[in-house]
Amino acid sequence: MHHNRNITHFAFMLLGAVALLFIFAPLAGMFLSVKAPGLFETIRDPEVSRSIVLTLGVSATATFISSVFAIPLAYILARKKFPLKGVVEAIIDLPIVIPHSAAGIALLGVISRDSLLGSAADSIGLNLVGSPIAIGMAMAFVSLPFLINSARDGFAAVPERLEQAAETLGASKFTTFYKISLPLAGRSVVSGLMLMFARGMSEFGAIVIVAYHPMTTPVLIFDRFNSFGINYARPVAVIFVTVTLILFTLLRIYQKRRW
Amino acid sequence: MVKLENITYKAGQFTLGPINLELPKGSYTALLGPSGSGKSVMLELIAGLRFPDLGKIFIDGIDMTNTPARKRPVGMLFQDYALFPHMTVEENIGFPLSISGADKAAVAKETGRIASLFKIEGLLKRAIKDLSGGEKQRCALARAMAHQPSVLLLDEPLSALDEELREEAVKTLAILKKEGQTVLHVTHNRGETDGLASFSLLIRNGKISTP
Repeated sequence: MHHNRNITHFAFMLLGAVALLFIFAPLAGMFLSVKAPGLFETIRDPEVSRSIVLTLGVSATATFISSVFAIPLAYILARKKFPLKGVVEAIIDLPIVIPHSAAGIALLGVISRDSLLGSAADSIGLNLVGSPIAIGMAMAFVSLPFLINSARDGFAAVPERLEQAAETLGASKFTTFYKISLPLAGRSVVSGLMLMFARGMSEFGAIVIVAYHPMTTPVLIFDRFNSFGINYARPVAVIFVTVTLILFTLLRIYQKRRW
Repeated sequence: MVKLENITYKAGQFTLGPINLELPKGSYTALLGPSGSGKSVMLELIAGLRFPDLGKIFIDGIDMTNTPARKRPVGMLFQDYALFPHMTVEENIGFPLSISGADKAAVAKETGRIASLFKIEGLLKRAIKDLSGGEKQRCALARAMAHQPSVLLLDEPLSALDEELREEAVKTLAILKKEGQTVLHVTHNRGETDGLASFSLLIRNGKISTP
């Protein structure tokens, strides 16, 4: 019996190692095959740094603005039963299952000049298509499910008893949410925010349709690959992956300390 | 003083009431009944966590039938204590005071006073996870008393405690009686309120009777 279990665990580890290698090997290969002169030249390239700042900035802003709407929705989903709740939850998961190019086409319909929102923006001199706003909308569209689902699971894990206790102690519904539910679901909410930020940053398919310019880094990588080949695209990819890895390591450390 | 007039509450197949009940000021009342008899539902009706289908609830002579929990002068000790795990003992006890807008010094002073009443002044900086069962009970009681409620509702206050801790916990409940606090103590254990309760009531299948 014991022997049997050891064989099973060993087989699982081997199978798991294949999955791990599948993720790690291409990335490691990319880092190893980048040439130093090309890399330094790319680091100094203002187009690259501009695109990284744009990508991080817009994804952070989109995450922050979306959270104002997503966190209350997550709380309601965790606490309330209502008709068609299953449909609402399916709608939330839609961006995960549809092709992101299709998401881009759908968004383009909402922001183009002949749409209600697009023409309203146009009347105040704002062209949404090809703007950072369009990029932020595309990022938010594809990444919102990660925040909503993670926060909802976090709120659902907070015992309702604690909220009732707070109410008997004189707390309003909002105070109860702010002082009890939100801090207790904090880890999941912050995880959701980080996932949303990360997913938004890496988005390509939807963004390339609503805003090829100004170029986010994923679009720039594609553009360089398309125009000049892999040797010009690779250093940009390496720099972007490095920046995101450093950023997320720092965020994880902060999250571990705080929660 | 708490007065229930013809309180009726239906949840699925279960019907509570009609219940007529009066808890005089400063009295310690035991409500005895088996599980599923409607004891906890009754406490939640008085606390404002549920609302009756019929009847009226008066607290201190004011009709509070439709008043939400946060506006009722009621303290409640939950069976599992429902302490806030992300706060210290001091923050738990001070919670009802700090959200009422009292300044920090006043909150600290009042928290200290109540903590010493329940002999937990040495535990104020502790995290909830580091408390024993008996300490948790005293912390939860202190918190329920912090906003000086007109009535304190105890839902099976001793059920989560080991046998050896119960004696100590009963002494803690006796503090409430000594302080003149109006208490409704709900339990399925007949012996539990001996020496505490000024009078006892029985509840069975949602109906109240005297033993």
